[in-house]
Amino acid sequence: MTEPLLSVRDLQKHYPIKKGWLNRQVGAARAVDGISFDIQEGETLGIVGESGCGKSTAATSIVRLEEPTAGEVIFNGSGRGGASRNADGTHPNDVTRFDRRELKRFRRDVQMIFQDPSSSFDPRMPIGDTVAEMLIVHGMNDKHRRRAIVEDLLERVGLSGSDYDRYPHEFSGGQKQRIALARALVLNPSLIVADEPVSALDVSVKAEILGLIRDLQAEFDLSLLFISHDMSVIREICDRVAVMYLGEIVEIGDTETVFADPQHPYTEALLSAIPVPDPRSRTEQIELTGTVPSPTNPPSGCRFHTRCHRVIQPDGTDIDQESWRGLLNLRDSIAADEVDIEQIRELAQASEPEVTVETQIRSEFGIASLADSVLDSAVTEAIEQLAADRQAVAAETLAEVVWTPCEKREPPETTHSDGHVSRCLLYEHDQPETVAADD
Amino acid sequence: MTESIPTDSAQAEDSTEPLLTVEGLRTKFATDAGSLVAVDGVDFTVEKGETVCIVGESGSGKTVATESITGLIDQPPGMIEGKIRFNGHSLTSMTESELRSVRGNEITHIFQNPQEAMNHCYTVGWQIVEAIKIHDEDVTDAEAKARAVDMLDRVGIDNASSRFTDYPHEFSGGQKQRIMIAMALVTDPDLLIADEPTTALDVTVQGQILQLLNDLQDEFEMGILLVTHDLGVVAQIADRIVVMYAGKVMERGSVFDIFDTPSHPYTQQLLDCLPGRGSAVGGIPGKLPDPTNHPDGCRFAPRCAHAVDACKTGSQPEEITIEGDHSVSCVYYTAGYDRSVVEPPSSESTGKKTEVEYSDD
Amino acid sequence: MATERPDRFDQIDWDEIAGSTGRELSVNLKLMLLTGTPVVLLGLYDHFVVGAREATFERLGEDLGLASQFEAIGLTFDPSSLDILFVFTLFLFLWFVLLPLYQNPRMTRYYWKEFKRNRPAVVSLLWLGLIFIGGVIGPFFISMPEQNLIAAYQPPVFGSVDQVHVSQCMGSIENGRCHGTWEYPLGTNRGGEDVFAAVVHGMTVTMQIAFITTTIVAAIGITFGTVSAYAGGWADEIMMRFTDIILSFPTLLFFLLILYIYGAGLGMFILVFAAFGWGGTARYVRSKALSVSEEEFVKATRISGAGTYRIVRRHIVPNTASSVITQLTLIIPGFLLAEAQLAYLGIGDTAVPTWGQLISSGRNAIDFAPWIVLVPGTVLFFTILAFNFLGDALLDALNPKAESEAGGE
Repeated sequence: MTEPLLSVRDLQKHYPIKKGWLNRQVGAARAVDGISFDIQEGETLGIVGESGCGKSTAATSIVRLEEPTAGEVIFNGSGRGGASRNADGTHPNDVTRFDRRELKRFRRDVQMIFQDPSSSFDPRMPIGDTVAEMLIVHGMNDKHRRRAIVEDLLERVGLSGSDYDRYPHEFSGGQKQRIALARALVLNPSLIVADEPVSALDVSVKAEILGLIRDLQAEFDLSLLFISHDMSVIREICDRVAVMYLGEIVEIGDTETVFADPQHPYTEALLSAIPVPDPRSRTEQIELTGTVPSPTNPPSGCRFHTRCHRVIQPDGTDIDQESWRGLLNLRDSIAADEVDIEQIRELAQASEPEVTVETQIRSEFGIASLADSVLDSAVTEAIEQLAADRQAVAAETLAEVVWTPCEKREPPETTHSDGHVSRCLLYEHDQPETVAADD
Repeated sequence: MTESIPTDSAQAEDSTEPLLTVEGLRTKFATDAGSLVAVDGVDFTVEKGETVCIVGESGSGKTVATESITGLIDQPPGMIEGKIRFNGHSLTSMTESELRSVRGNEITHIFQNPQEAMNHCYTVGWQIVEAIKIHDEDVTDAEAKARAVDMLDRVGIDNASSRFTDYPHEFSGGQKQRIMIAMALVTDPDLLIADEPTTALDVTVQGQILQLLNDLQDEFEMGILLVTHDLGVVAQIADRIVVMYAGKVMERGSVFDIFDTPSHPYTQQLLDCLPGRGSAVGGIPGKLPDPTNHPDGCRFAPRCAHAVDACKTGSQPEEITIEGDHSVSCVYYTAGYDRSVVEPPSSESTGKKTEVEYSDD
Repeated sequence: MATERPDRFDQIDWDEIAGSTGRELSVNLKLMLLTGTPVVLLGLYDHFVVGAREATFERLGEDLGLASQFEAIGLTFDPSSLDILFVFTLFLFLWFVLLPLYQNPRMTRYYWKEFKRNRPAVVSLLWLGLIFIGGVIGPFFISMPEQNLIAAYQPPVFGSVDQVHVSQCMGSIENGRCHGTWEYPLGTNRGGEDVFAAVVHGMTVTMQIAFITTTIVAAIGITFGTVSAYAGGWADEIMMRFTDIILSFPTLLFFLLILYIYGAGLGMFILVFAAFGWGGTARYVRSKALSVSEEEFVKATRISGAGTYRIVRRHIVPNTASSVITQLTLIIPGFLLAEAQLAYLGIGDTAVPTWGQLISSGRNAIDFAPWIVLVPGTVLFFTILAFNFLGDALLDALNPKAESEAGGE
């Protein structure tokens, strides 16, 4: 097995939350919470996820724009390959332990492209100078040589050398992303981290830039870490894809495999969200209810269980999956004291014809009537308690019968095929016997 | 032939006006560099209960065209010419105060960025109630509130009655767009103009918003005029499509016409840019012409692979009807040219998806 | 090196280059050092060597043994330390404001295009240009107004005044009214000082106040703001609380205190007001620096391996410039007004012919000799107005981002 260009191991980035007079740390937003992956030379790895899943933080932590809280980022490029661990267990190629000199060297090897073309350039600097600044920083003092190099590079990314003296406001979004590519390339790096480089662009321009990235990648043998929320873009450009949710990787594998055979329910949902450019297949996509929970206090067990459409029912319960989802939502809302009984009462009275508070709540959570009598009566009782202003009792009543294994245990990793790994309790029992049997 | 009577009545209905008719719309702006013609003679109609999408790249004038309808363009520096008829009234001859009452009641807008379209000092509930009260002065507070909560619930805000008193910053981007839709729909408008409503949102949320618009349209029987650069979005929701380029209409037709037999080279290239469909990676070479100085002939000619001399002289070619509602503005469809040069390869579209259940209903 | 070096980015031999990270001096800095150093030396010489009653250049000529040559080219005058400081700030302005405009013609054209949309601002710029040129060159051609009691209350050239007010009319007397002459185009005041000469010399003082306070306020404000923004934590907290103190400091009372205890000239006025005037600028710069440092282009520069100094100097400071300049164009009128008010109250620097002094000298004669107040008053009014217009226009023009956002659909 060849040594990967970049190995990320258990990378964490927590933002401390401070409170009070003495700035005591009372908690942490766990933006990135233990992710691991490898990027081989010349390979493109995609990280995909919704906004707030920590994918951008992962990128900035890997390149050390922000200091990671814990974990290793082992970079084996530019003659560093073949190193073995030190006696104390640290790795000599660990970026998080690089000193000033090593870090500056590392900056030449790893570059970044950002999302927003309008803010990625200093509005008061000609774009040529912006690109050339990279060369100055690394000690190239020959002004004419800098200019020659940058002009040549501008032409390679599809602009002209005479654009050197123009200012960012004179370019369109797509052209600015070309310049951003030039800036990322000028130090001849081996890895480029691209953080949503095409999200802000028109569809036609998006295709253009993706094509350019692919050409440049082939020509200069680049590795890419490509971050996006858009599965269709990932499919266009990535060899492998890692799906991130709330700071964790829930599934990783070859793009083709993941697209053809997604294992994690979250991946399924992301895939179903890709718009199909065909008016004849207006498919219903899987709707993810609720919003991404706060990374300060992530859900226990599987972090996705609060929104999962395939959340597991405990043994002995067997109702339709949508009502089960609604039931869990009701339980969580009551527990969090988010159900405003006064409001609901007012509404129930105002609606035509007048309905009971219970009906109103049930319709809001999509649990009109449940096949399971135990659950149904628990709901009725909980709502009664709630109506009597006993929120804690109501929460308890529901929690006794409504629970899911997903919130109790963290899902282990399941290997589906070579390099295709997911973390979901649904596959808990497939592992490891089935894989062994296959062999 | 017992069905002749309903057919007659259908014809009678046909003869009535569409919900919105735009004819010869021309919107200009006075700038330092001269007169900028953003929209240059555009016609389209929207029927009741129908979704019409205007598709084009940034700078094609699609946003200006829709904003011209309700006079959202500041005049001056803007200048709107042409005929706009809505529900039997001419919007172009209305005074500003009459327009204002149409806007927000019968025609409502939602925009790309819900962040900027909301007032962050008030709760979302208050803002919706306010919209209801402006529309219907007799409504009581309790009724207005009930309607607002009901609307929030219908646009998919979980636990709507409790979130009624939350402030905009307590909602995510997708939820804010849902709330904007709720706000646009409480007045029960006849036409909803949605300008890139999903562009600023995550892909997961995009689909949900489109689905929501689709569902609500059935419920409210309103016309939707959707503006977008993304044909992928269009396929999911549109009935009819108008493809705009540099202020002119290049092609129009039903969603099936456009996706099955895209006839204008521009439409074809736009479709090719779509991930999962495109064959030509690399986008559309060249860039939009300078809007203060449009090229002669077909506006797309400088970027068109098939352009001949006739494309580069005179004015934009007349729209030629290909079949039914499907028409295209391209010289290859005029007499004396071989239209097979620019016609879509038949194998790709018709061969792939054979006429399945959707073929007629 | 004779070998042809490849000019392609992927063929750079970085090992050869990477060692030589010498910091280059920019042309601007070189020129500033070249021109600024003699000025600073002269200032030090003037302060420590030249006696109070000696003329600086005369003494310098003697010390260098070049007295005759100096005299031959007319280098005999005696600049005050304020004048020397003014020259120094002029060089700063020349090398760090005007020269960059010449170096970046595209940006200059763009600024100018945006700026000239605002007609009142263009007029304001012309007016201020006039004041500037008058202030810098004027004193070389028009000598300091001198007391000449015989020529008191002479009317302006096309005006006239009742004979009884004039001890000796320089022009013609018709019907008992004294008419003005070209000798005193704008008339004279009670002391017989030429109002025109006084206005021209007032321009010099005005420009001195404008340039020197600008330099001091900008230097302290920008340094304080950026350091505070970049240091963060306790340092930021302490620096900003200190700024609050500066902002709430009763500068005028403090200046009056100094005035009564030690006496104070114009130099002290500038020093005190500038030293307590930078609070707003520092705050502005800090908040702007914080927002700029969040921009992606700063991240992109950081990831290139650039150090903090480079980022602050090349990216943060230039991008705070528009707010700083706007802030300054609002501060300068405040200083000018304060100076005029103090002068009017009779507690200004009587040794310096400011507009305020002139106005104050005419306040008792306003009923028959209104020009003494009107001329400098009008000039002062338009100057302050011009600074305000200019600030407004610069805020719009110096913000290249605003257009690109509006330009997109």
